[in-house]
Amino acid sequence: MTPLVAAAHELKAPLALVRQLALRLGDESLSASERQRLLRQTVLTSERALRLTSDLTKAARLDSALFQLEPINPDQLCRDVVSELQPLFEAYGRSVAVKGRRHPLLLVAHRDLLRRILLSFSDNALHYSQPGTAVHLQIQAFKKSGMVRVGVRDFGPALSSDMWRTLQDKLNIAPQKIHARPESSGLGLYIASQFATAMNGRIGAVRHKDGATFYVELQASNQLSFL
Amino acid sequence: MTKILLVEDDAWLAELEASVLVGAGFDVQLAPHAPAAIELVDSFKPEVIVLDVLLAGSTAFALLNELQSYSDTGIVPVVLCTNIADQFDVVKLKEYGVRRVVDKTTMHPDDLVAAVKSVL
Repeated sequence: MTPLVAAAHELKAPLALVRQLALRLGDESLSASERQRLLRQTVLTSERALRLTSDLTKAARLDSALFQLEPINPDQLCRDVVSELQPLFEAYGRSVAVKGRRHPLLLVAHRDLLRRILLSFSDNALHYSQPGTAVHLQIQAFKKSGMVRVGVRDFGPALSSDMWRTLQDKLNIAPQKIHARPESSGLGLYIASQFATAMNGRIGAVRHKDGATFYVELQASNQLSFL
Repeated sequence: MTKILLVEDDAWLAELEASVLVGAGFDVQLAPHAPAAIELVDSFKPEVIVLDVLLAGSTAFALLNELQSYSDTGIVPVVLCTNIADQFDVVKLKEYGVRRVVDKTTMHPDDLVAAVKSVL
């Protein structure tokens, strides 16, 4: 599947939802509060679609762009991402929070690319988590490898072994045929992988009995020792 | 009142589709994923299943295979409601119990009601 086809596929779902919301808004018998709720859902769904188009544009320009890597405080960035996503999660009856780390640390990244990866993982977690559950943004440091892992943990239906194998394929390769990977084109993971590579990092996933964690691993900053 | 099981993992779309079906006089139960759908097939005993194809954690076809393996659930007609309707041939899907395919990207709410009525 070409990235263009994958993008079209990924955009279908939010656009179809926006259309259905608009059709519903045409119902003159709706109460004012119901109309406001539907309008809010329309705005939030449009913003999700726009985030994907923005990521695609960024991914297409990765080769030519010069990305200045700098020391980033992942805890602060996670808190910014949570603030940005809170309205969307609340509208879906879910919550999102940072599981803080006791000792502050820094990693080497491009702030906007890392933010986009976390937004993409969180959006995915929103889709797969159960109503009433919380999605957690977590930070872990690995002393031996000198890497910092920033993960997004969801609590939802366990992935089957088949789907897990499919997911593992998706983590490192281009978007695949919908028939081979029925639940999505893998475009979001592909873009996240491209962004991580541009920052000398990688993405991965951990399967849990009650959900999954998608993560990005990046080099810890040497400035860590000064904190 | 005809019982409809609506299997849709997008909560907002599920709500919209359910309100249309309830407005048309159907008794509707929602399932956000395949395991919940299987439980409801047993307890709610739907007369029609409206099914999204791309479900969280699974696909419609895993669920349809499961339903088809039992003689009492295999006869429940299914309306497939999907964003990728152009990739399916309803004739080939008949062995899975699928009687209609509705394209979410172009459907009007009335189309869903008409599709359900047509399989009863």
